[in-house]
Amino acid sequence: MPTESFETGRPFIAGPGVPDESGGLPEGWEAPRERWLSTVVRPAFGPRSVLLEVVARLLIPAILVLSVFLLVSGHDRPGGGFAGGLVASMAYVLRYIAGGRQELIAGLPLRPNALLSLGMLIGCTAAGLPLLFGSPVLDTAKWELVLPVFGDVKVLSALFFEVGVYLIVVGLVLSVVAALGARMEAEEEEARTEQEQRIARQARRTAQRSDAVRAAESQDTPQPPPMNPGGETR
Amino acid sequence: MNVLLAIPLIVPLLGAAVTLLLRRTPRSQQIASVLTLSVVVVNAAVLLWQTRDGAIMVSQAGNWPAPLGITLVADPMAALLVLTSSVVLLVVLLYAIGQDIGGLSRATPQIFHPIYLVLTAGVCLSFIAGDLFNLFVGFEIMLTASYALITQAPTRARVRASMIYTVVSLTSSILFLTGIALVYALTGTVNMADISEKLGTAPPELRMVLALLFFVFFGIKAAIVPMHFWLPDSYPVALTRISAIFAALLTKVAVYAIIRTQTLLFLRDDISTVIMVVAIATMIVGILGALVQDDINRVMSFALVSHIGFMIFGLALGTAAALAGVVFYLVHHIVVQATLFMVNGLIRQYVGHTSLRAIRGLTTVSPVLALFFFLPALSLAGLPPMSGFIAKVALFEAGVASGGTLAWTGVAAGVLTSLLTLIAIFRIWTRAFWGTPRPDMVEAKKQLRSGSNLGGLHVMTAMTGVMVGVGLLVAVAAGPLIDVSMTAAEDLVDGRAYITAVLGEEGR
Repeated sequence: MPTESFETGRPFIAGPGVPDESGGLPEGWEAPRERWLSTVVRPAFGPRSVLLEVVARLLIPAILVLSVFLLVSGHDRPGGGFAGGLVASMAYVLRYIAGGRQELIAGLPLRPNALLSLGMLIGCTAAGLPLLFGSPVLDTAKWELVLPVFGDVKVLSALFFEVGVYLIVVGLVLSVVAALGARMEAEEEEARTEQEQRIARQARRTAQRSDAVRAAESQDTPQPPPMNPGGETR
Repeated sequence: MNVLLAIPLIVPLLGAAVTLLLRRTPRSQQIASVLTLSVVVVNAAVLLWQTRDGAIMVSQAGNWPAPLGITLVADPMAALLVLTSSVVLLVVLLYAIGQDIGGLSRATPQIFHPIYLVLTAGVCLSFIAGDLFNLFVGFEIMLTASYALITQAPTRARVRASMIYTVVSLTSSILFLTGIALVYALTGTVNMADISEKLGTAPPELRMVLALLFFVFFGIKAAIVPMHFWLPDSYPVALTRISAIFAALLTKVAVYAIIRTQTLLFLRDDISTVIMVVAIATMIVGILGALVQDDINRVMSFALVSHIGFMIFGLALGTAAALAGVVFYLVHHIVVQATLFMVNGLIRQYVGHTSLRAIRGLTTVSPVLALFFFLPALSLAGLPPMSGFIAKVALFEAGVASGGTLAWTGVAAGVLTSLLTLIAIFRIWTRAFWGTPRPDMVEAKKQLRSGSNLGGLHVMTAMTGVMVGVGLLVAVAAGPLIDVSMTAAEDLVDGRAYITAVLGEEGR
């Protein structure tokens, strides 16, 4: 049940038709009433936009598939791990823009640091593996396979290196987004909440003071303040 | 052959990935870093052993033939420098680990270890890159890592220093890239052996402009006067472990790149006068700066600038004897600078700062520390029987042998610089080490010795001792080292062996 996972605080993927349980009124006529992305927190800037959320939801799988296509086709055509990684990280950046930092965190398969180190491990292993066979670093082996649907497929061992590069690029872009976008956003939000609290506190204090003054005044005019019976010494 | 050349790149990067994964468990992270660097040290020793007789090892990455693919080359000079650097990197790493164990540093080890290993890979790649573009990549890996390292434990001063450092380094990188583009436009290749062949037919004026351009942007990184201004501003404020590595390695990598490009790519006669004048200016200006500083770290930074001049002086002479002196000087200087900055770090632990105005009587506070400062300092000044003496004598002999007004002026400037270095050192010695210690220093020492950080302090002191020992070893093993340097210098003067090794007989 979606509501259960919502109660445990874990984001879940919700499709159209699941009611928005974030509470509160929609922020404008264009704010979506249904959830398109996995989290329903207010995005970083501006009101929620139904257009952006729907388009992001539709595009992200396509972008990810394109990035994998670029990755595997890169050995003799335009593309490769670097380009593929950039495209894939753009999917996450789009998600971040549409849904804010909660959305970014919900969508990540691994932490950016883990992605980085995993990519580095795969890349270095793929680069260093030929050494075991007496070849220089980065040497490539080639296999030609006949697969049922794809037909003749050429697989290069360089693909593993490219996978490493792909992961490094995704990890790097995501850690940049996390550090320069999400972190700053969180800090800004903190500062804003603090400021709001301060203003609220100030307002409350002013209200109390004016209340007290009014009370004192209302006490003042009809009857004089009672004298201190005990005669407090100061 | 392939394995030996690949390990200095692959293993530190793998180590960086592993330490990044292990960042929650400091102990395993430390073990992983130490293991990684030990492998690099052993590998470098084997590499030097294989190339000691002047053999040049070549590995063509991905089996792409030479002028097209990535070429990794190790001649005796590169092998010697990889070994020296990796030893220094390992000892400074252990020093840093000691500091972390004792809780004596505000660095964040989780970030420090991976970046440090990436820096190692960058330094090694710069030494063994066989083409200009990979030299650039090696420099960039090293510099990017250093940008992150210099702001460890950020304070206002560190962030300011890192701004200067980053802007200057990026400027030099942009110039470097421009230089590579110009060379490529002229010759159609970035492989250094191939460029060396093809530049022979290029117009001499163009060649000279390129030689000057290469000298300038490596000169910025090597802190050659008048492009040295950034160094004394940025190195002293970084954490000790980081300024030790920066002072020991980064400038020396740039000096190595200057020597490699000026000897292999350009007929050095083109600009040797300019190089000589700049070398003399570097020696004198650097040491005069050191004489007026009030902070030990800043004195050492200016002394560093000044002693870069010696290596450039050797390059300007250009004879095999002079280049052998330069190679030996590089080894000596890497070790000595690292030691001195490590000692400064210990002083910072004991006193809290390194300002000469408020330090007195360090000899009483810690006699070992005084000894550890004294030995490398004498070596820096070039007193016998230290390694600095041997290196300087080798350079001066070469200068006298080649004769000429400029060479004699250079020798005179070198002797003067050595004397002034001695004065600078005795200034530190009399002000910081002699006398009765200030009461607050004794108090601070008691506090340091009583706390739970004693073990860490012992490790730091021991590692500084090891570094002093390495410095003495350089002096003791001067005979074989000079032999290797001589072989390396002969390879440098006569680039044909290098070119044949990279391009193969039929490629020429």
